This record gives sequence, structure tokens and C-alpha cells, in this order.
Amino acid sequence: MNIRLARPKDLAGMQAGNLVNLPENYLMKFWMYHIMTWPQLSFVAENDKGHIVGYVLAKIEEESEEKGGDIHGHVNSISVLRSYRRLGLAKRLMMLSQDAMYSVYKAKYVSLHVRKSNLAAIGLYRDTLGFEVAEVEKKYYGDGEDAYVMKLVLKNQS
Amino acid sequence: MSKRGTTPNRFLPPKESSLFKELLSLYETKQLKKGLKTADQILKKYPEHGETLCMKGLVLVHMGRREEGIELVRKGIRMDLASHIVWHVFGLIQKGEKKYEEALKSYTQALRFDKENMNLLRDVAQLQTQLRLYDGLVETRYMLLRLRPTARQNWVALAVAYHLSGNLAEAKKVLVEYEKTLKNVPHYDVEHSEMLLYHVRVLEELEQHSEALALLDVSAKDRAIVDKTAIMEVRARLLSKLRSDEAEHAWKVLIEHNPECYDYYKGYLSNQGLNIDENPAEALAILREFSTQFPKANVPRRLSLSLASGEEFQALAEPYVLSALKKGIPSLFVDVKSLYTDPAKLKSFEDIAESIHKDTSPDTSVASSSVSTEPTTYLWSLYFLAQHYSYLSQYAKALEILDLALAHTPTLPELYTCRARTLKRAGDFHGASRAMEDARLLDGQDRFLNTKSAKYRMRAGLIDEASALLGLFTKKDAPSPGADLEEMQSLFYLLEEGDAHRRAGRLNLALKKYAAVQRVFDDYEDDQYDFHGYSLRKFTVNIYLNVLDWEDHLRSHPSYIKAALAASRIYVDIFDDPKLASGNVDGDVTDAEKKAKKKAKKAQKEKEDAAKKSAAAAPATSTNEDKGLDVPYKDDDPDGMKLLSTPEPLELAWKMLQPLTTLAQDNIEVLIAIYDVAIRRRKYLQAAQALARARALDSEYPDLHVRIVHARHFVSVLPEPMPAPVGPIFIETLGKILSEGVSLETYNSQFLQNHSTSAQAILAAAQTSRVLGAPLQEVEDLIFTTLRDEVRLDVKTALEISSFLKKIKSPRVNELHQALDAKFTLSTAFKTPDELAKLREWVLTTTSNSSSERTGNGAANVENEAELGKEAGKSV
Repeated sequence: MNIRLARPKDLAGMQAGNLVNLPENYLMKFWMYHIMTWPQLSFVAENDKGHIVGYVLAKIEEESEEKGGDIHGHVNSISVLRSYRRLGLAKRLMMLSQDAMYSVYKAKYVSLHVRKSNLAAIGLYRDTLGFEVAEVEKKYYGDGEDAYVMKLVLKNQS
Repeated sequence: MSKRGTTPNRFLPPKESSLFKELLSLYETKQLKKGLKTADQILKKYPEHGETLCMKGLVLVHMGRREEGIELVRKGIRMDLASHIVWHVFGLIQKGEKKYEEALKSYTQALRFDKENMNLLRDVAQLQTQLRLYDGLVETRYMLLRLRPTARQNWVALAVAYHLSGNLAEAKKVLVEYEKTLKNVPHYDVEHSEMLLYHVRVLEELEQHSEALALLDVSAKDRAIVDKTAIMEVRARLLSKLRSDEAEHAWKVLIEHNPECYDYYKGYLSNQGLNIDENPAEALAILREFSTQFPKANVPRRLSLSLASGEEFQALAEPYVLSALKKGIPSLFVDVKSLYTDPAKLKSFEDIAESIHKDTSPDTSVASSSVSTEPTTYLWSLYFLAQHYSYLSQYAKALEILDLALAHTPTLPELYTCRARTLKRAGDFHGASRAMEDARLLDGQDRFLNTKSAKYRMRAGLIDEASALLGLFTKKDAPSPGADLEEMQSLFYLLEEGDAHRRAGRLNLALKKYAAVQRVFDDYEDDQYDFHGYSLRKFTVNIYLNVLDWEDHLRSHPSYIKAALAASRIYVDIFDDPKLASGNVDGDVTDAEKKAKKKAKKAQKEKEDAAKKSAAAAPATSTNEDKGLDVPYKDDDPDGMKLLSTPEPLELAWKMLQPLTTLAQDNIEVLIAIYDVAIRRRKYLQAAQALARARALDSEYPDLHVRIVHARHFVSVLPEPMPAPVGPIFIETLGKILSEGVSLETYNSQFLQNHSTSAQAILAAAQTSRVLGAPLQEVEDLIFTTLRDEVRLDVKTALEISSFLKKIKSPRVNELHQALDAKFTLSTAFKTPDELAKLREWVLTTTSNSSSERTGNGAANVENEAELGKEAGKSV
């Protein structure tokens, strides 16, 4: 699979992949807003037909002073089509995004939300990428499920 | 809305004048309730004050009282035609209605009375960009820069305007001037970095590569450009264009940075002067080095498989396949499938997988096995082989292998999805749906499997039951799962359900879904509007330009093309046979659908009632809630009956096809659809052009053959010749395609002779005979020749043949179905209605017994499941 920075032409494929994979979905304008505001942070994996089979959509947040005022990255959405799993695509997508958060925006850390029940994803974030659970957000998801807020301190990877 | 001139009818005494100023600022801060009061205060004394009337109207529209508001705005304009405010207000309203051209006219009018109004100019620039009026945009941006040269974005905006208008040289000049004005650029500033990257792009597009490289390098060194990846990519590209010795290293650095990016390897190879097709040996050697350097990277190994051949290929493919099977990578087959165009490679993969399968089989004695005897490797080799044979249309063999695999591991969803796909290909849409549901039941939390199972149910005609599945993951407060998916712009859902309705003959509902696809793309197009301002303020120019380019080609997306083709075919059928539009459309609606429709209607009514209520209550308790200026979408045709009974089916068809005339010129299906609509709309040149283009793409394409004859026949039966100049050109173009001396009957039989073993061609020849007025029996006889053993016939074509027979009202449809049913032993596509009813029950009964439904979705899920069980007539 080809892994590269997301382009506008990928947006429809990213949106479609998200709708097939995850219960949290977004309108096109949301996808556009992210890649047009932080064009360095979102990545895709495509197959040899040029179909998007995985993506990561990310942004930068500046915390208010009382929260520490740290610039940090946040992963809005990441998913890989079931039929393209076990290739390590999610890991690579995450690493590329993290690297850009750090090198372009000097992000101190990266955060994300994950369903408490999503053991596979938690495994990837914690065991493969080194994230830790920072807090629990009660009933974060539309259906009432709790979310873990996971964080990873960013360092120069290369 | 700043400066105000005074003409007699605009005059307000000091008290009202200051009230009006207050009204403007209340509007700016969207204090709508207070604004409304203030406007009324003025109007009490000066009921015909145009600007106040307009402002009141604008406030009302924001409050959701659109019609009332617009009426006031229109009245206000009439009272004060020379006010920039009234035209500005009108422009805002039109923009909210997405009438960009009209809005621009109003804004232009407003500018006549207030030439240097920055707000007006900025809005005009956005409208001009949306409408791609780039020359006008340059003027507007120039004006804005002249008025406020201290605003940094005005410089970049002018450069972008020049760029879009095709004047790169001016764009460059503006950027250079702009950079001269900069003092104290903050160190490490992302916006400035983006701006410089844009400058480099302008230079690169001007082919001033050395200058571009110099700017890039100095900016990178100063840390003025902070995007490391962009620096590396642009640098490698520029160095290659400059044929620099450093280029090779630059590409290597990129590969190191991301060894899974094809573009980097391609860049490296082409920089080395290697063309993949011409020097595979050298390219392979390089890729081998990269494989050693990045042992975990897949791209160099996969790329090698494309380049290698013969023994070398075999040597590379074996470890590739084995390692993937050991790891249990489900995508191995789709990954290598594109290599199957080479029959030798196809055979290699088959041999490799068969041999691994044999070596790992539990029946094989351990001693003889050289590879790992991991039971999972055995399992994944079976999975690969099943996909392989399924792809080669050896369905029985594929299913046999899957039975083996399922006996080994009954809990792997992929085995069921493969089974489902195989059965679908074989025409057993019901068995396929059941298998896909079996897959879903193994992992009820996986939306991917959920979506697949819903899709397969739609393919089996089980639309309500598909909807019940989809509802497990859609919002519970939505009127229906479909409504939520439509709102979330799910093109997949809209197309699948549209197609399912079309196959069931519910053309109204099909058109409804295709129209919804069209609307999604309209929304995608509108979505860019705000970014014409936003992106320039953010200085993210490069991505912005790429977005504009994407927007310009938006409708070349396969989903749009599919919807446009399907809808235009229906509209053409309706035009040819208007009875289709008044037919008994509701006859096919199931109880569940009626129920869902009722529910949706009720929800819609409740929503409307609530809106009415709040609107009625508004004057008294008027809220400050801003509903914006955009017109909310209102569905006044929930069943699609208005679409179906349109008096202008061809115009609706053309509206969908029109964007494709430039975006899909190499799509023969599109060209044929354009012909079908154009010839009926009497746009003869368009029709002839479409035929000529289609013929250049594939002169023997069966559907094209029908149209060529149709066109010639059409001319010959016209009561009067086509008038000049169109007529002679049309006939000349046709003459080039098919010379006039040839009789159409002869031409058709020649076509048939040339393609006597192709079912598609036989169908086309039969359709052509029908066009030429051949008796029904003759056409039927021809159609039945597709059943002969030497004719290549698949289920898909067989279905087309069946619908053609239905269309010409042949009495032999049942006879054909019996024959097809006997021919396609696995297929359920040609069963009788009674048999189909039983099959539908069978699909649902055995699979609704589930223990692993998606959890965590609360009570709504349970309800959906119960409904599903009920609809199937079986208990859960």
C-alpha cells in the first residue's frame, strides 16, 4: 500500500472510509477544514487502484493558559478498512502524523479519544506507539460509551 | 456596512439616524431580537425607509422567518434603489440561496454606490472565486490591496488571483514585493512558512527551477520554512528537474523518511533515468538494495513483483506470498491481483499458493514439509486460493475450498465474506447475503462487516432488512437510518439503495436516491465558499489551490458518474414510455417500507410543526437564535413521485450529465448516455459528437453499435430533413462513422457475425433489430441464441437480456428465465416469484439468530433487531 500525505482528491475516499469503519462521522466541510488548516498532518494509505484504504485526520490545539498553554496535536479520526488490516498501516499513519505535529508545529504531545471497549485500538496506541491513558471522559460518545483520553509526549523521531 | 450618503428618501432625523446605526451594529453582533425592535422603532415613524426595511428583512431571515423577511427586503430595495445597503442585503440573501451569480450582480450594484467598501469587496472576491471569474477577481483583489496594503493577506490574495487567472509572472512579482514589506517576521512562523512554500511553487510552475531551489534552500536554512517533509519533497523534485547530482541523495532521504511511499521510489528511479517498462533489470537491482536497507518496507518488494518476470519473478513471489500468509495478511490477494493481467504471473501465484497449502496441510506428514506448519498459514493459504478461484470464475472450486477452511476455523469472518462474494459473482444473491450476515454475526461491533451485510441484503432486494442493519450504527434520533446516512453524505448507501429500488422497478425511489447523490456533490461544491476567505487569512495557499482544482473536477468521481448514468437512463426510459411514470409504483412497496415512510413523514411533520410553532410564537417571544442565511434543505417530494412524473425528464437527465461532458470524456458509457439524451433533446451536434468520441474509444462496443444504427435510422425516418447548418453536419459526422451506402440491416448482421460468441453483442444486435422495426419473434429468437453453449454469457449480461425482453413485452420471459436458471446452477437471479419469496425468508431465518449484536448502543438497537425479526416473519 502507498502511504502519503492526504490531498484534496482523497477527501471523498477518507469520508467514505470513515463511514464504513466508525460510528463517528463528519460532513465533508469538516474534513476540508482540517486538511486546509493543518495541511501537513493528515495522511492516507491507498491501494494500487488508488482507493483510500486507511487515513488519519489530525489537528493542532493550543491549550488555554490555565491548562498549561501547551501546543499539542490531536488525532480526530483514524481508521483502516478491515480488509487491509495487519499491514501496520495505522501505525505508520500515526507515526507520520506525529512526526509532522512535532516538526512543523513543535507540538509537545499528541492526544486522542478512544472507546473504552476498543481493545484493538488501545493496544495499538499503548503497546505499539507508547500512548498512556491520561483521563476518562464519561459518556463521551453519542451512544453513551466512555472514552479514554490517551496521550503521548512527542520527541524527535528521526 | 459603513458610510452612508443621504438622499431625500433616505433622510432620517438624528434620533432615527442613530437608531439605524444601532441597528447595524446589533446586526453585526447578531443581537437579532433587539435589532428587530430597533428596526420597528424606525419604521413606526418612517414606514417606507428602504434601508431599514431591508435590515429588518435580513434580521427576520436570520431568525428563520424567511419569506416574510425576503418580502421586506424586496420592498426596501424598491424604496431606495441607489443605496449600497439594500443591494448588499439582497446579495447576502441570494448568496444564502446559493444563487452566486445573482448575488454577484447585487454586490456589483452595491459597489456602484460605495466603491471602496472593504466588506463588499471581500464578499465580491469570494463570489468571483466561487464562480471562477478570475479576471474580475484580480481587479477586486487589487482594489483591496490598494485600500489596505498593510494587511498581509491582501498581498497573498492578489498573488493567488493572478495565479488563478493564469498570470504566474504577476503572481511572482506581487510575492516579491510583499516579502520586501515584511519586517520582523517571527522566527518559526507556520503561516510565513506556508507563504514561502507557495512562492517556491509559483517559481516551479514558472519553470524557474534554480531560483525556486535557491529560495527553498535559504528559507530552509533560516528555518523560515518549517515543513520538513515539504522541503524534502520539493527539493528532490527541483534537483531532478535541474539534473543535479544531489538529486539522487535527496530522493534517498525521502525514502528513508517514509519507505512506504510509492512516489518516492518512482522519483528515485526516474531520476536515475530508469523507465520501469524499459529497464526493469536495473530498476530491480535498485529496488533490491532498498529492500535490504528497509527490510520491513513493503513497497520495494511489491514494486519488484511488477517489474520482474520469469524465474526472477518466481524467486521474489515465493517469499512474498509465504511471508504474507504466515502473518495472516487478509489483503494479500487484492494486493497481487493486479499482476494477474500477466497469465504467467497468475499461474505462478496459483502454484505458489497451492504448494504452500499442500505443505501446510494437516494431512501432510511433518517430515516432508519445508515450511512452517503453523495451522494459520494453512488457513490463510486456503483463503488466498478461494479468492483466486473465485476471481477466475471457478465458483464451485472456490466454495469447496472455503468449506475446508470453515471446517478448520469457523470463526474467521473473512471466510464468510469471501464466500459471500463468490456466491454473488455466481448470481446467488440470497446465499451471498446470508454468508455476509454470517460474517457480520461473528463481529457485531465491526461497522465494516455491518455495512457489507447491509449492502448484500440490498443486492438481494431486502431493502428494509438492510436498513435495519444499517440502523445499528446510525444516529438513533434520525427519522430513519437512511436519513442519517444521507445527511452524513454516504454515497455508498445512496447508490446501493437507489440501485436496489431500480432493480425492483420502484423508479421513483431510485430517482430520489440518485438525486440525493447529486445533492451531496452540490454540497461539496458549496463547501469551498468560506475557504476563499479563510485559506488566505491562514496563508495555507498551496492546499487551497489544490482544493480549487479538486472542486473543478469534483463530478468525475465514480459515484457521481454512476448516479448520473443510472438516473439519465431512467429519465430516457420515461421519455420513451411515459406510462412508466404513472405506473403502479406503489405496488411493490412492502409493509415495512410503508411503515418507515409513515414514520419519516411523521417525523418530518413533527419537525415542521415545531418550526411553525416556534415561528408563530416568534413575534411575542422572539429569540436571538441565529438560523443563518443559508436556505435549509426541504424535502417536498419524499417518495420521488415528483421526479418520476416530471414533465421534463430529459432536462433533468441533462442536468446530471452536463458536467460530465468535460469531466468524463473517456468514459464510453457516459458518451452513450449523452447521445441518448441529446438525440431526444434534438441537440444533434452534441449527439453526433458523442458518437464520434465513443467510436474513437472502442468502435466495437456493443451499446455503441445500437446507437450508431439508431442515429442513422433516426435521420432516415424524419418526416423532413434536418435544417441546415446542423443537419448536414450531423449527417456528415454520421457518414464518417458508418458510410451511407451500407444498409443498416446488413451492418447489423455483420456486427453479429463478427461477435457471434459474445452475449453482449448478441443483445446489442437484438436491440438494433428492434430499433429497425424487426418483428418481435425475430428479436426473441436472436436473444435466445445467447443460451447456446459456445456463447460467453455471465449472470450480469443475462440479467440485462432479461430486462430487455421485459421491456419489449415479450411473452417468452418466463421461458428465458427457466433456461437461465438451468444454465446458472448456483444463481438465484432467475427464480420464480414464489421461489424468490421463499429465498428471502430463508436468507433471514437462519441468520437472525444472533448472540453477538453490537453492544453499547443502548435500547434503540434492541428495538431495531426486534423489528428485523418481525419483518422476516420469524422470531429472534
